[in-house]
Amino acid sequence: MTRVLATYNIKGGVGKTSAAVNLAYLASRDGARTLLWDLDPQGASTFLFRVRPKVKGGGRKLVRLKSDPAKLIKGTDHEGLDLLPADFSYRHMDLALERFKRPTRRLTRVLDPLRGDYDYVFLDCPPSISLVSESVFEAADALLVPIIPATLSSRTLVQLETVVNGCPAVLAFFSMVDGRKRLHREVMERLRAENPSVLAAAIPASAEVERMGVERTVLADFAPRGRAAAAYEALWGDVRERLGEYASRAQ
Amino acid sequence: MTACDYLLPEGLTLAAAGKAVAELLEVRDGHSCVGERSYYDTFDGRLHEAGLVALWEDGRLMLLKLGSDRAVARAEMPKPTRPLFTGELPDGSLRAALGPVLGERALLSLVEIRNRERLFDVLDSERKTVVRLRLQQPALGRRRLRPRVHVTAVRGYDKALRLVDDALTAEIGLKPTDEPLIDEAVAAAGARPGGTPSRIEVPLRPGQRADAAAAAVLKALLGVTEANMDGALADLDSEFLHDLRVSVRRTRAVQRELRYVFEPAALAKFRAEFRWLQQITGDARDLDVYLLEFEQMRALVPGPIRSDLGPLHAVLMSRRTAARRRMCRALRSPKTVALLSDWSSFLDRLQSDEGARGAAAGRPIDEVAGERIAKVYARMVRMGDAIGPGSPSTEYHELRKQGKELRYLLELFGLPLFSGAVVKPMIKSLKALQDVLGRHQDREVQAATLGSLGGAVAGDSDGSAALMAMGVLVERLEEDQLAAREQFAARFATFANKRQRKLVRETFS
Repeated sequence: MTRVLATYNIKGGVGKTSAAVNLAYLASRDGARTLLWDLDPQGASTFLFRVRPKVKGGGRKLVRLKSDPAKLIKGTDHEGLDLLPADFSYRHMDLALERFKRPTRRLTRVLDPLRGDYDYVFLDCPPSISLVSESVFEAADALLVPIIPATLSSRTLVQLETVVNGCPAVLAFFSMVDGRKRLHREVMERLRAENPSVLAAAIPASAEVERMGVERTVLADFAPRGRAAAAYEALWGDVRERLGEYASRAQ
Repeated sequence: MTACDYLLPEGLTLAAAGKAVAELLEVRDGHSCVGERSYYDTFDGRLHEAGLVALWEDGRLMLLKLGSDRAVARAEMPKPTRPLFTGELPDGSLRAALGPVLGERALLSLVEIRNRERLFDVLDSERKTVVRLRLQQPALGRRRLRPRVHVTAVRGYDKALRLVDDALTAEIGLKPTDEPLIDEAVAAAGARPGGTPSRIEVPLRPGQRADAAAAAVLKALLGVTEANMDGALADLDSEFLHDLRVSVRRTRAVQRELRYVFEPAALAKFRAEFRWLQQITGDARDLDVYLLEFEQMRALVPGPIRSDLGPLHAVLMSRRTAARRRMCRALRSPKTVALLSDWSSFLDRLQSDEGARGAAAGRPIDEVAGERIAKVYARMVRMGDAIGPGSPSTEYHELRKQGKELRYLLELFGLPLFSGAVVKPMIKSLKALQDVLGRHQDREVQAATLGSLGGAVAGDSDGSAALMAMGVLVERLEEDQLAAREQFAARFATFANKRQRKLVRETFS
């Protein structure tokens, strides 16, 4: 069974791409056949994997099911981890989706033929609330939501949970955490106590994560023993545990 | 192509090949390593036939596509050191992927290879890996196998793969090979790559002398009997004994159906001895079938009393142990050894124009086999026509025995000598009929055996509950036997319809 996990937040610059790239790598390292679809027209995941941000026929042809997504996939430097690259035309994906009767089903339909090939599909989403994000909500089994520990971010999480209403599951985690800031510590403590969807693992604000853009690869390749790599490892453990709990409840 | 192996030309060392690769291509020269790889398949090569192989390395058992390094499924587990059945695999993708291929067979160790490797990533202008190369020096124990360059494609970079292929072949002089490393290693270990199949395909030609054709077929069947002997004795999995028995049954069918080809006195002796061989393996196989089908039988009784059948299982297990002991003693006896050796010599003489033979020895095999196929088919039609819903079980059983005879004739002689367009549909309709007749007979025997085991089960402390459950099971088996009877008429009508009869007359008579 393929599990679709989307890194999502309405805000930009909160660590969605870093999470998508490192978690997808960890999934493939554990032996799972993994695909990452870079839905963000900025193509940050695609850049990190050193792949050209170009999809033949663009996003429009893809959502019209006129392109075979299997033919657009590129292998990454990591065995078992493939990438469906970003394309600048994805910036018009909302417009492309609007033309359909049930626009929010389209991403699911694009992914359907790939389901047999992968154990995990990660969607790295652009920061917005739009028809694309609604399609992501429909396609995903879980949203992985990075939140910076600040008051406004916690409000965003509550709003998101109201919108999705339990489907897909929301798995929030703290990102860009500065343990020296009292505000961060307080917000984390309060939110974890209030909201069971917040995971225990937290990603620190770290120069190592920033260096990913220079090294153009996952943390495990250049800082495998660093704090950030350990944090993503713990986060992946938390995500798998939650997914396991949902699966056993569903049975 | 997702992966390909290349062999080095005479005189080129692996180090020199590595140097040439580094000069010709933009590569990241990765680490060198030594890996121990243990490969697994079933005795009859089911994984190989499906284009797969099982590999244990670094604490993981993986299912790989043959010739590739990409795992289709994997599970963390200790290295298998004895036959491994599907039910013993950890729950998950590996078990799900292997189960349907393995069936009732066990995974057995094939070979262990020690591989010294040097890894290269071929890079594009963004320094992204677009093709992977492994320069390999494999060894089987102390014996070095041929060095290879294993090339793995990266999805979506076909053009780069073509450029690498061009550089390796045209510039360095490597030769692509279709023989996977595992096949080379298995052959080097003295085994047969792809396993030992139980099905034989002996090429025969119309007009060939019947004695030579019969000898060739029987020799191949003897090969199957001998190949399965060690596994049956060691109880590696139930199919060794099954395949051994099928090869003996097929041998006996050829002895009977082509009896005028052989010298009568010698044939009489061998027929009696092969009958004995069949008998001494019968009890153990029957109990194997019982135990293999035990869960299916258990499912026939209502849920609350299923666990009551535990004592029956225990009795079957203990009887199987005793039956196997008797069988192994007989199979290891000088009588069996002499039988197989004498039979082999007899067949050699038959193939080499020496020794006496029967009156039909010089006739063309297509004539002799065709006559027998037509005759057995006509006999089955007569017997089946006479069977009605109230006929005794023995009539169904006798028809089934003839069906087996016909099936062996069709598979061993019909397929190589006559039109596949006639023979294949005939085998298909015969198999459908045999399925019903087999179910009818199995249920009869199973119900009778349950009755005979009552005394032994009653001795258990939970014996009375077990006897009650067995009573319910006997009823279910009898119901299923009746259902098989009801299906018989339709299956027989397809097998014996007017068009089919005409076709048989025209083809074989």
